[in-house]
Amino acid sequence: MTREEVLCDLRKKFKDDVIEVVDKSPKRVYIEIKQESLVKVVSYIFKDLKARFNTASGVDMRNHMEILYHFLIEDINLLISLRVKLQKPKLEIDSLVPVFEGANWIEREIYEMLGVNFRGHPNLRKLLLPEEWPGGVCPLRKNYKEWDENAIRDRGV
Amino acid sequence: MSIKLKALLKSPWVFHFSTGSCNNCDIEILDCLTPRFDIERFGMLLVGSIKHADVLLITGSGNRKSMERLKRLYKQIPKPCLVVAVGECALSRGMFIHSYNCPVPIDKVIPVDVYIPGCPPKPEAIIAGVVKLIEKVKKGTAKK
Repeated sequence: MTREEVLCDLRKKFKDDVIEVVDKSPKRVYIEIKQESLVKVVSYIFKDLKARFNTASGVDMRNHMEILYHFLIEDINLLISLRVKLQKPKLEIDSLVPVFEGANWIEREIYEMLGVNFRGHPNLRKLLLPEEWPGGVCPLRKNYKEWDENAIRDRGV
Repeated sequence: MSIKLKALLKSPWVFHFSTGSCNNCDIEILDCLTPRFDIERFGMLLVGSIKHADVLLITGSGNRKSMERLKRLYKQIPKPCLVVAVGECALSRGMFIHSYNCPVPIDKVIPVDVYIPGCPPKPEAIIAGVVKLIEKVKKGTAKK
């Protein structure tokens, strides 16, 4: 399958799910999809197109939260980034762990850093932050404020 | 100078603890052990267990999780011991000073004897710092 065939295929198969396709460069394409059709599209890309799951990333865009799932099709050297926009304040999305195990830890990290809830995740607990970290405080959100009263933020000179 | 400190200075064995650094300081420390710099001529040796160590060498800015481990290590090291902080991060947290995960510098958690600045410090700087510490202890002006 060539690059054009893959893109054409995705456009045709998921006519109602794809919102926008941004052809960024020969190696990279961004596809914005609807929140509820994530598992369907990901299953097709992962199982039928034999893409490799690179990672997921989340960005706080002030008005909405953006999650990007990056897939690489190595035969044609194409990086597909699936973009999902979550409207605040309800930050919930289906977990991808039932499709592939590799999504487990990155979803836990996005959960603790941005406060996105992943429906159907088998073990949604903290990954990097300590256990005594207060609940509901997300350090990578735009509205994060210092909460620790004992923190020292000057260099002492 | 106590007999324990005198014996320690002949061959200070070093335990290297990285509190989540970017590994450049760690690379420079390993450089010190290569034949080019050969820090072993001062009797220094990296050891695998804190219970064999005389010197606790710390790199990295120290985050909330590794600080707990650092406190535990400091309790286990045989006293008297010397603590060396290597690199800008271990001194004042460097560029991570406003990080949500690095609330306090290392010298507020455990007492530090010698600070070696640099990002990363050259192996020459590390050797110079350690030699200064040995001189300080010999003169009896060190904290311990």
